[in-house]
Amino acid sequence: MSKLFSRIGAATAALAATAALLVCWWLPTSAGAAQTVTLHTSFSPDKLGASTTIGFSFHIASTTNEMSAPLTSVSLSLPPGINYVKTTLGLAICQPAALLAKGLSGCSPNSRLGAGNAFVELPFGKESGYEIPDIQALMGPPHNGNIVVLFYAEGRKPVSAQLVFQGELLTGSEVLGGSLNTAVPLIPSVPNGPPVSIVSVQATIGPSHLTYYTHAHGRRVAFHPQGVSVPLSCPRGGFPFSASFTFLDGSSAVAKSVVPCPRRRR
Amino acid sequence: MVAGIMSAGVLTGAAGLGVGISSAAGTSAVAARTISLSETGHLHRTSSSGLKLNEQGSASGTIKGTIYIHLNVVSPNRVTAEVNIYPSGGSLTGSGSANYSVNGGTASFSGKLSIKRGTGSYAHAHGSGLNFSGTIRRLSGAVTVRLSGSMST
Repeated sequence: MSKLFSRIGAATAALAATAALLVCWWLPTSAGAAQTVTLHTSFSPDKLGASTTIGFSFHIASTTNEMSAPLTSVSLSLPPGINYVKTTLGLAICQPAALLAKGLSGCSPNSRLGAGNAFVELPFGKESGYEIPDIQALMGPPHNGNIVVLFYAEGRKPVSAQLVFQGELLTGSEVLGGSLNTAVPLIPSVPNGPPVSIVSVQATIGPSHLTYYTHAHGRRVAFHPQGVSVPLSCPRGGFPFSASFTFLDGSSAVAKSVVPCPRRRR
Repeated sequence: MVAGIMSAGVLTGAAGLGVGISSAAGTSAVAARTISLSETGHLHRTSSSGLKLNEQGSASGTIKGTIYIHLNVVSPNRVTAEVNIYPSGGSLTGSGSANYSVNGGTASFSGKLSIKRGTGSYAHAHGSGLNFSGTIRRLSGAVTVRLSGSMST
């Protein structure tokens, strides 16, 4: 199981606590509402056996006109056959405490796994929503031998929160694939306000736009890490992804997505 | 297959006693002995294919020689391995499985390995439950492996 071990930066801990207390006030407004989620995934490049960057995005909508309930967990299941053997992603470990204390400068660039952004809605006010423009994914300390992905988000006004939360890559069988299970913390909106609702997230995990560094012959050398590899064969219909979502109101949703098989060369 | 299992049983008993025995036909004697292995190997990657990593290097310890390891990462936290050691006068082949985990720049594995067969001086080698562990430097592919336990020959 994924575990949320660090939620909110010291500067915003009070906001989080306040928001959590106000959940009781907020919940009745969404009674009877449910969420639907659409999922999009990609391999870039989409080439059998090649190092790739996995892209995923999801969009949450309410089945009513009300704002969707805050997201509490995401479990992204990866297609069987994804190859982790030769990837050099996550050559350094980022410690959550250092991330909270110093931001991204507290961790080695070699711990970066990917990046993304999110769009959130506030449960009050006239604006339709706000973007959290920068979410970074980093390699965290392993948990029970499993790969841990740390997500670091730094919201600015009006969503002033520094968040570190983790996902854990679990594998349930001898067939490579697995699922990245992430507990999503409540994101405080403003003092004395309820949590925001995540509307959409876009993220990538992979070497695209990442630069790592090593030392060779006494010099610092930049290089692009190797990503996970696309499976060597593509099942009929494409590479299946699925994701399950849970929400603060107790509801859940499942979304599926398929990455098409690469075109065959003629 | 049955004969093979029976033969292994005889050898195991002999190894435990540390004495030579005669075969059922009485035409030859087999001097079985138990060797306590404590090996360390330093290997480099020679190739990789799919989920397999092929490593070659040198083993030192109780037995010295060239060592080859074929690691098959069957899941993000499980690896199977075939190990071949070529000491002077023979060879040893073993296989096993181990837990596997990634921790930043290194991956580590730890599990059990069995000696399945041998050639030359180690033609009757066998053993099971040997401790098998190691680390992989993820960027370079270099592997350090440790193998310990008892083997009968």
